[in-house]
Amino acid sequence: MRRSLISVLFAAMLALGVLAGPAAAHPLGNFSVNHQTTVTISSDRVDLKYVLDQAEIPTFQERDRSTAAILAAKRAEVQRGVSARVDGRVVDLTLAPGGTITFLKGQGGLRTTRVELTLSAPADGAGRVEVRDVTFAGRVGWKAILVAPGRGTAVRSNVPHGDPTNGLREYPQSLLSSPENRRAASFQVEPGAGTVDAPGARGHAGRSADKKSGDAFTRVFEDAAAGRGTFLLLLLIAFAWGALHAVSPGHGKAMVAAYLVGTRGTSRDAVALGLTVTVTHTIGVFALGLVTLALSAYILPEDLYPWLNLASGLLVVGVGAVVLRSRLRRRGVAARAHDHAHQHGHDHEHGHEHGRDHAHAEAHAHGHDHARDDHSHDHDKRRHSHDMPERVSPRSLIAMGVSAGLIPCPSALVVLLAAISQHEVALGLVLIVAFSAGLAATLTGLGIAVVHAGRLTARVDTSGRVFTVLPAVSAGLILCVGLALTLQALPTL
Amino acid sequence: MPLSLNTLPRVLLSAIAAFAITAAALLTLRAGDPPTVERPSFSSLPSQPRPGASTDERIAAYQAIVKARPRTAAGYSLLAGAYTQKVRETGDAGFYTRAQGIIERGLSLRPTDPGLLTERGALALSRHDFRAGLRDGRAVTASDPTLRRPYGVLVDALVELGRYEEAGRALQHMVDLGPGLAAYARVSYFRELNGDIAGAREALDLAASAGGASAENVAYVQTLLGNLEFGDGRLAQARRAYRQALARFPGYVPARVGLARVDNARGRSGAAILRLRSAVAVLPLPEFLTALGDAELAAGRTEAARRDYAVVRAQQRLLAAGGVNTDVELATFEADHGSPARAVDLARGAWRSAPSVRSADALGWALASAGRPREGLRWARRSLRLGSRDAMFLYHAGMIARAADRPDLARRWLSAALARNARFSPLYAPRAARALRALS
Repeated sequence: MRRSLISVLFAAMLALGVLAGPAAAHPLGNFSVNHQTTVTISSDRVDLKYVLDQAEIPTFQERDRSTAAILAAKRAEVQRGVSARVDGRVVDLTLAPGGTITFLKGQGGLRTTRVELTLSAPADGAGRVEVRDVTFAGRVGWKAILVAPGRGTAVRSNVPHGDPTNGLREYPQSLLSSPENRRAASFQVEPGAGTVDAPGARGHAGRSADKKSGDAFTRVFEDAAAGRGTFLLLLLIAFAWGALHAVSPGHGKAMVAAYLVGTRGTSRDAVALGLTVTVTHTIGVFALGLVTLALSAYILPEDLYPWLNLASGLLVVGVGAVVLRSRLRRRGVAARAHDHAHQHGHDHEHGHEHGRDHAHAEAHAHGHDHARDDHSHDHDKRRHSHDMPERVSPRSLIAMGVSAGLIPCPSALVVLLAAISQHEVALGLVLIVAFSAGLAATLTGLGIAVVHAGRLTARVDTSGRVFTVLPAVSAGLILCVGLALTLQALPTL
Repeated sequence: MPLSLNTLPRVLLSAIAAFAITAAALLTLRAGDPPTVERPSFSSLPSQPRPGASTDERIAAYQAIVKARPRTAAGYSLLAGAYTQKVRETGDAGFYTRAQGIIERGLSLRPTDPGLLTERGALALSRHDFRAGLRDGRAVTASDPTLRRPYGVLVDALVELGRYEEAGRALQHMVDLGPGLAAYARVSYFRELNGDIAGAREALDLAASAGGASAENVAYVQTLLGNLEFGDGRLAQARRAYRQALARFPGYVPARVGLARVDNARGRSGAAILRLRSAVAVLPLPEFLTALGDAELAAGRTEAARRDYAVVRAQQRLLAAGGVNTDVELATFEADHGSPARAVDLARGAWRSAPSVRSADALGWALASAGRPREGLRWARRSLRLGSRDAMFLYHAGMIARAADRPDLARRWLSAALARNARFSPLYAPRAARALRALS
């Protein structure tokens, strides 16, 4: 979901000409000859799809020949260079008649050639299939063999299933990998339900969507640092991205909503919560950025995330547990005088729980300052009217905001680190703030929506048993979310 | 208390909230926020490539090092160097792009890292941005005068910028630091520029026996030796050198082109054209395509030559779009096969950005082909001022002198060109011989 969001953003920026740089040459050099063979093994046959992407110069070298002659030459090269063995025996690969050939616009007013051909061979009950592709030997380029699921087979492959090139239309630009150069593949075949067991594709393996979006965002940022694109647009993008990012799972939205429902907070609480998230997220990114810089010689930034996730998960569990406990107790002792003491104990413990999180000790101190006035206020109100919504204590509010904003979004961190490495720290910091503000805007909006929905329903009735139970239920849900986060963080440690 | 109708909306709301929260929790679990973690442990840090590793093995090893230690600059310069070497072996310019990115990333970690600045300078030279190469070469050699590799960048930049005395001093310093293939190969080129062919040959022999990090390095030196022998008309020796290069690094395209030149000089133009065809199929560089066109034109295959010259233009256009300055090569090409006026513009640009003897030769030839031989003669003299015995320089100078009504100079230069190798080019040697006959 996040990837598609990024591609939308990119399309918008392309439309605005933000990314317009010098025309790029064919990504693999303008005389590369790139090809990819996708192997599909079914219970009775082997099918091969051969795609050729020929860059500008080799295309230009053939410009005097007719399209039919070029296609015929490519067919001959494929027929000659692609071979298959089934259970050790060479089989006849039949090249399907025709095939498609197109000449796409390339660089410098030149064209590139794209050819797609299909081949097949009978392979009844094959146990082992080997495919070799020695077409266009000695020519530089991307040479890949892939596997795709067939019918009625379970295939174990030594070549990847995923295609990072989108059928040779785009090439991974990673600085740390060389172009694919695979000329042979072997497959173990058993009867099955059309499954494939294959290693991860290069350029895909070990990369999550987060990393990708971070890279994309970093690229935008680098363009801006290089003077391309406008600062304002970047700010807007960062804000919008943060706002949309908050809607994606795992960013505290649900927690915040549940919390406000459970505590019957006000619009002001929702705004305060949003601000806390912004501040915490910004501080979190900055702190993690600094820690990362300091530790980078020893630890990969990725190594820090599991720990942060765990810390955040435990924090939410703590909040949920404490809120749940106080709700359950209140049900029994609500009208009694020593409820205050309980409430106090809750706050204290909460603060303590929170204080364990080293990075945000100041939030704890802050909460402590205000706790007392609010308490008396809180207490008075409750004594006079059981049914009045209780006020949210600032301390727990802040704790909630802190836990929602604690996990810095990895892509935001990437932006900051890129900023540092580009010596454009100021721009990076501003972008992080804009991103955090977007995040907070969504959370605040959600919070206000929840509060108002709560008000509406509160007017209807406030005395049913279900209503009394509801806060406890939502506290239980907070607890569940916290446990889920913790459980999720544990296996990655 | 029984459920009243009034409580229903609340129940609904709580049910919706509960559903949303559970769904969010489940989604969090599934979609998973934490990035997939690559976790190299300290015990399993990738190791340096073994000695004698192929370029691909070295690239893989350095990629692993950079991945494991992304904040350590040293890995970046080693990887950038290996990428540049890969271009030398395959001509695959995609590795230049990778090298450039790696260098920039490394320099953002350590802006003054000598290894990275050296690689950046070498990359600038490959784009024919000699001034940028000179800046980096100077910066590194000034900050650490004990490193050898940066002197290579410095010497190359100075030579291409026509600052031969400085180049000579820097080269001497490089040799003093410790001789090796890189230093000897440059000594050889420097001597050749100054007309000392025997000294150049001796230096190349030393370079070949010194050996290099990659088999390609030695093949390159052996090909240079072949070119030197060919220049002197020693065809058998040239052929042997090219064959040695191919034995060292199978398929090495510059050596295949060299063998084609030998074929041509022996009058076997058909074999030469076949060889060149297969060479440009793999590596269609402008100079190889021009050699093919020349061979075809000399053999009377005008139409084929025209097609191959057109590819030269397309390739030049793409190189220029990719930020490579190809003015010198293109100026000579245009003077021979295209628009002389455009040749003059290009050659002037070449001289401005790189005032070397090579640029002087191109400018003189362009001016003469544009009908201004007297101006051209000045530049021809400049191209020969070091005492160069390059047959093409001499041929150009001789033809310019003839057009400028200086038969004495024309005779001297044309006979010098033919004396070194009477078959120096399938296309131009016969023209030189005809002009010389007409003069006497």
